[in-house]
Amino acid sequence: MDFTGIVVVAGNYGSGKTETAINLAAACRKTGMAVNIADLDLVNPYFRTREARIPLEALGIKVILPDRQYLFADLPILSPAVADIIRQQSDLTILDAGGDDVGVTVLAALASVLQDRPVRMLQVINVFRPFTNDVAGCIKIQQEIEASAKLPITGLVSNANLLDETTPDHIYQGYDLVEKVSAETGLPVDFITAGQKVLPLLDMHRFSCPVLPIDRKLLPPWKRI
Amino acid sequence: MAKVLMKGNEAIGEAAIRAGCKNYFAYPITPQSEVAEYLVKRLPEEGGVFLQGESEVAVGYMIFGAAGAGERVMTTSSSPGISLMSEAISYIAAAHCPAVFVNIVRGGPGLGGILPSQGDYFQATKGGGHGDYHLLVMAPDGVQEAVEMTMLAFTLAEKYRGPVMIMGDGLIGQMMEPVEFPDDLKTEPTNKDEWATSGMDFRKSKKRNLVKSLFLDPTALNDNNLALKAKYQQMKEEEVRFELYNGDTDYRVLITSYGTMSRVCRTAIDMLKEEGIEVAMLRPKTLFPFPEKAVFEAACKDSCKAVISIEMSMGQMVEDVERCVKGKRPVEFYGECGGDIPSPEKIIDIIKGLL
Repeated sequence: MDFTGIVVVAGNYGSGKTETAINLAAACRKTGMAVNIADLDLVNPYFRTREARIPLEALGIKVILPDRQYLFADLPILSPAVADIIRQQSDLTILDAGGDDVGVTVLAALASVLQDRPVRMLQVINVFRPFTNDVAGCIKIQQEIEASAKLPITGLVSNANLLDETTPDHIYQGYDLVEKVSAETGLPVDFITAGQKVLPLLDMHRFSCPVLPIDRKLLPPWKRI
Repeated sequence: MAKVLMKGNEAIGEAAIRAGCKNYFAYPITPQSEVAEYLVKRLPEEGGVFLQGESEVAVGYMIFGAAGAGERVMTTSSSPGISLMSEAISYIAAAHCPAVFVNIVRGGPGLGGILPSQGDYFQATKGGGHGDYHLLVMAPDGVQEAVEMTMLAFTLAEKYRGPVMIMGDGLIGQMMEPVEFPDDLKTEPTNKDEWATSGMDFRKSKKRNLVKSLFLDPTALNDNNLALKAKYQQMKEEEVRFELYNGDTDYRVLITSYGTMSRVCRTAIDMLKEEGIEVAMLRPKTLFPFPEKAVFEAACKDSCKAVISIEMSMGQMVEDVERCVKGKRPVEFYGECGGDIPSPEKIIDIIKGLL
């Protein structure tokens, strides 16, 4: 995977943007790159990047969150530090956006700092989520996100999963869907994801794109790590 | 049907559609606003209506209106919103109207916080509004159960012609799990011609149905309360639902817990088992009617030395547990309600302290 500059992780609500963003940040950091990640999720009240702050910082990733006093609020607060890290060039700056068109509205507020900078925006798709189980649904959400973010989507990511119940067939189903979306839109499939459990069971020859391993960071409190 | 990955809030919305609910009125509040976000997209596809009220007070009476007309109707809210609806819930109970209320509970009292809590147990099971009424209250422990209970809620609301509540802490609404929607839980409405209002149609029939909660005649009011009491008695006989986990062992401690908290307790019980310590959990699925007999019997097992109620509250369900155990075993309590959910390790420490 070759990611540098600014990468926005977008997609429909609950597509797994945050797990994808966190694991992408970790994978890139492990290759020695300087990586920043910013939580722009102003939509979702639970399970946000901020909950994975400690493991990310342990890897040497700079994590930009809202001010501590607002960490558990459901207020649309955009930390001024986000504009700062976009201005300061790092090897890779990942912006974890909120879901749907509403979630990327915040990017329009950053338009002036994003201007004239190469920005990649990924659309994360989980075929098992409502509203993105077919090509038409994925393209509809794509257009809504682009209109709201005022930025084009540049690549597709399949994050097909049913959490612990994911099988290789689920991964293949997700891959086949993003391939179809790719054929329809001309957008490349940048990578697909697979959880650690299902990864060794996959036939890698089936994919013509990289596979990002997902080590789940946002677990409910009863799951043992 | 193949499984899909859904947030609890979305799944509750879809379950209502699958149960035949075409009317959904609500006012947004964290952590349940995704129900409305989901249904605003999905209901029009099914020929249904989502209308946002100007407040939860208004929503409560919109529910009363639709329920009085015999329509399947649901609202969802979170704690402060349910407080505002509680007046209407009392009216709906008094007027014998079926309606489904979902409370995705956040921390309280007051505005509290947006993180998960079980602090509305008293509100859900002991009233909330005024007068001698109860809601039938079900508490799911995950997204699949939230689906099944939501679908069942419409059936039970009609069976008992009264308000039914799904009480989930915030995590039940926010967490994602794979789910499927069972076809066999959808039922057809039954006898609404006998009681629901029908607009101008009464001219065509001999009988005009009247939906009301005002009974000025003392005998009539007493009779209405007796009719409500008879329904609650029938619920106690027919609708008690619970799960006994690890109950076939010689457990030394019995946990009572429900919802998200019970998932943590389950993990703690599995971990304790690996250490050779047997602990059981009685998980009420219905908070009203409460599994009184099951709690008593599980507590009185010879091997069981103590009962502990573990809740995301400062001690609410524990009062029902104490009532049911009737002093036969010591009843302890552990709870947190700031929004952080106690870890399995914390529960293990608490249990070991009882041994």
